[in-house]
Parts: sequence; structure tokens; C-alpha cells
Amino acid sequence: MIKLLKIEFKKILTYKIFWILTGLYFLFLTLGLLMAEFMINNMVDNMNKRLPIPMPHVALYFLPWIWQNITFFATLRYVLIFPAIVIIILITNEFTFKTIRQNVINGMSKAEFLGSKLLIIMLVSVTVTILLTIGTLILGIAHTSDLTFSMVLEKSTFMIGFFITMLTIQVYALFFGFILRNTGLSIALFTLYLFIVEPILYYFLKSPVVFPNNISPYLPVNAVLRITEYPSIQVLKNIMGINLQESVSFTAICIPLGYSAIMVGIVYWVLVKRDL
Amino acid sequence: METVLSISNISKRYGKIQAVKELTLEVEKGQVFGLLGPNGSGKTTTLSMILDLIKANSGSFQWFGKTPGKESRKRIGSVIESPNFFPYLSPVINLKIVADIKDIGYEDIDRVLNLTGLFERRNTRFKTFSFGMKQRLAVASALLGNPDVLILDEPTNGLDPQGIAHIRELILLIASQGTTIILASHLLDEVQKICSHVAVLSKGKKLFDGKVSEVLAISDCYEFSARNVELLETAIRSHPAFQSMTPGAEITQVYFNAVVNPEELNTYFFQHGVTLTHLSERKRSLEQHFLELLDNNQ
Repeated sequence: MIKLLKIEFKKILTYKIFWILTGLYFLFLTLGLLMAEFMINNMVDNMNKRLPIPMPHVALYFLPWIWQNITFFATLRYVLIFPAIVIIILITNEFTFKTIRQNVINGMSKAEFLGSKLLIIMLVSVTVTILLTIGTLILGIAHTSDLTFSMVLEKSTFMIGFFITMLTIQVYALFFGFILRNTGLSIALFTLYLFIVEPILYYFLKSPVVFPNNISPYLPVNAVLRITEYPSIQVLKNIMGINLQESVSFTAICIPLGYSAIMVGIVYWVLVKRDL
Repeated sequence: METVLSISNISKRYGKIQAVKELTLEVEKGQVFGLLGPNGSGKTTTLSMILDLIKANSGSFQWFGKTPGKESRKRIGSVIESPNFFPYLSPVINLKIVADIKDIGYEDIDRVLNLTGLFERRNTRFKTFSFGMKQRLAVASALLGNPDVLILDEPTNGLDPQGIAHIRELILLIASQGTTIILASHLLDEVQKICSHVAVLSKGKKLFDGKVSEVLAISDCYEFSARNVELLETAIRSHPAFQSMTPGAEITQVYFNAVVNPEELNTYFFQHGVTLTHLSERKRSLEQHFLELLDNNQ
């Protein structure tokens, strides 16, 4: 395992595109998360001009609710597309440069090759989760008065949800990369599926005419997005009368993990069957 | 003799095209084995199968007398088709990746870079290399860690005369140290200069294999003439080893598909009522032999 990581590090360490995309991801993520509150309140102000009863401003960054809010915004489609593209590039590069052939010739098994890519996904997920946890803690502590230790921990399970989201969306990307093998095509089709195909399928399947049992929440990407489905915003609570999501549910985690396991299985099967 | 590679009845089909057909080969330790054939004769497909890049439709092969796997591949250094490296990495890092996969240390990297004349360029990115340098890096990577077997697929393809000479010298040097080499080439002259053994492939089938020296010594082409040309031709056609014939005004040239000797032939014709006025043995070069073998299989 350490050997595979050593090899992967060499492939990535001086790869400019990887670092540029990673840099953009963190920039986008940080700015987005820091500006979310301001942007929402700006919208509230605009709406209040037309509403008879003004809506109150939202506060996203106080503990323990910040865990839920940060992970909600950090797992929007627009943000998740970054790590997915990075993984697609890392995998399809191996086919473009034919280095997967060379790796196998030199004595790497196909299982090890797949394993090394899964290790990178794991490592990226762990790293981003740790960094986001630190950032969230700092931001939360700065915005919370009367801080207690239990407040810090209370909703932190959302971070586990975030980790699973990162992991599974990248496995989906890995699936596209390994099956299609072509960088441009994989990115295009993945993006198309993420933003257009699945949302259309979602609304189509949601209609009770088509399917009596609504299976749309179980679509692969939707299952991932449902892990951290709603932010915790006081206004929403007031309007709806309930809190939309209290915690990360075990089933919500299991569905995308199940999809991922199936995809890894298919990728392995195809890798063994197909000629390099 | 220790068998390094044994291939038995291996076949590969791409749709309608039969790339390799029931190929059987044995490569012994220390041989410099040439796979000779024109483009599209199945050389690269064969090498790709024995390196687990593509799956054979039928047949099997063994490396070092064992079922092949990643451990056997670690003992083999290969250059297959184009040099495959990460364009944005330097030769040193590219070779470190190879060393990591093969479970060997980095100490050997400088040696192979020196052998292939790339040491000065060790820290420049691969994509800035000329084609010749890329090809040399592929050879360097194959030599890393002194493998037991070296597989070279058209190693001098696309190189300038100086580069060709350099790579050939290198192959001979490595062969002299006892490393088994399997070399695929469409260049006869290359096989003739480098190899000890050869297998000739055409359209995926093995036409011939053996020692290069034996192939060169084969004298299965004869020239005959006789007063009764018709009788001569009938006798030639009924000879058990008859392959083909080019009749001429004076002299008839005949190819046999087995080794025959002049004494035998003379007796044979005499028994068939032909008195020869001319009988001569024609030694052929590998090139002629190769082209004839190919022609006969069209």
C-alpha cells in the first residue's frame, strides 16, 4: 500500500494541472463558504423590499449548526465537480500516455493499479475533510458566543457525511474515467450526467404517473447529495415549522457506498477483461 | 538448457482478423531470439500477450516454467511499441516509478541513463525529448535492475543510423552478459546481426524457426537443366520435397521445402529417366529465404 502511494505521489507531485485544479478548488470552496452568508442575506434584503413582513437575516456560522451548513454548501454539484474532474484527469492520463500499459508490463497487477487510484481518492477525501474540519472549527468558534464543548461536537457527524460524499462522488468519476478512457469525453459525459441527465431523470421518476413508488432519491448522484441535503437555516425552520435534517442518516450513507462498491466491481471486471 | 519462455498454441483474433494463429515457441536461457515478420504479422500481438497486456483467445504460455503473473513480469524488461512515460516528469522520476513497481532500488538509474547516453538530460521533462531520446529512455527503463529477460519490439524503429548502431551495440553487450533477449523486428539485417535464433512469422502463423546460422546454411534451392525439359519438370514436380519452380530457357530453378543433397537429387533424377546436364546448389541469404517463405504463404 505504501509502495502504491509512493508511486502515485511521484505521478502527482510535479503535475501542474493537478495543483492548479486543486488550488482553484480550495479557492472556490473557501470564498464560497465565506461569502455564503453574505450572499443569502443580500437576497433576503432584496426580497424584503417586496414583502409586507420582512424576513430575518440568516446566520450560518455558529456552532453547532455550522457543521451542517458548511457541509451542505461544500457538497453542492458546482463544488463537487472539481475533485471529480481531477480524478478523471489522473485516471484518463494513464490511458492517454499509455502508462497503464507500462505499469502492467513492469510488474504491476491490474488490481494494484485500480487500488492505487482508490488510495488517491481516499487520501484526497481524508485531506479535504481534515482541512474543512479545521476551517469550520475556526469559523464556528469565532462566530459563537457562550461556547461549550458539547456544542462543538453536537453536529460534527455531518463531517462524516461530507467525507462519504467526497469519497463516493470521486468513485463515480473514477468509474467514468476507467470505462471511457478518454479525458475530454469522460469530463463531458460526467458533467452532463451530473448537471443535466440526472436532474431530468429525477423529475421524470418523481411523477407518480410514471412510477408509483418514487425511486428518484435513489439515483446515484442524488443519493450522494442527500447525505447532506439541507442547510440549517432559522428562516426555513420558521416557515416549514420543522428542521429539515437533524443528522446524517446511516441509510443515506449506505446507498452511495453501495453504488461505489458496484462501480469498483465493474471497473475491475472491465479492466481484467479488456485488452490494454 | 533452462527454458525461459514457452508458448503453446496461442491464438488471438481481432474481429475478423486472425492476428496470431496457434503459435508455439520456446526460448531458452541465453538466447537472442528474433521474431521476424513483416508489419502486421503478429509480432507485437504475441509480445503483448506474453506480457499480459492482451488476453489470448486460446493457448497458454509460461515464464521461467511457471504460470505467469506480476512477479514474472518484474524479471522482464520490455520496450513495446512507443515509449510510454509521463510527459511532464523527468527521466529520473519516470525511472523511479519503474523501479518502485519492480521492487528495486534507485541505485541502478544512473547506470542505465549513462548506458543510453541520457545522463546529461536526466532532469529535463520527457516531453522535451526527441524521438530517438524517448526510444533510448524506453531501452534504459527496460534495462533497469538487470532483468533476466529483455523484450525489445522494433527497438531501432525511427532512429538515425548512429542511434541504430548504438542500440545494436548495447543489445550485443547485454546479450554477451548472458541476458536472454527476445527481439521483434521486420528488418532481416537486424535479426541477422544480433540474433542467435529466429522464428519467422507471417499473418500470425509461424513459418519457420531455428538457429540463425542454420537458416542461413539451408541449401534448398537448386538449378537444373536437361535435354528433355518436359521429363525433367515432371520429375521435379513429383519430388516429395518439391516446393516451387521457376522454369527458364536454359536452367530451371527449384525450391525444396526440406533439406536435400546433390547426390540424392542426382540419383532421384536418374531413377526417373532424366539425365541432368547441369546441377548446382544455390546458397541463399536469410533475406531471400524470408521473402520466399512469405511468398509461399500468400
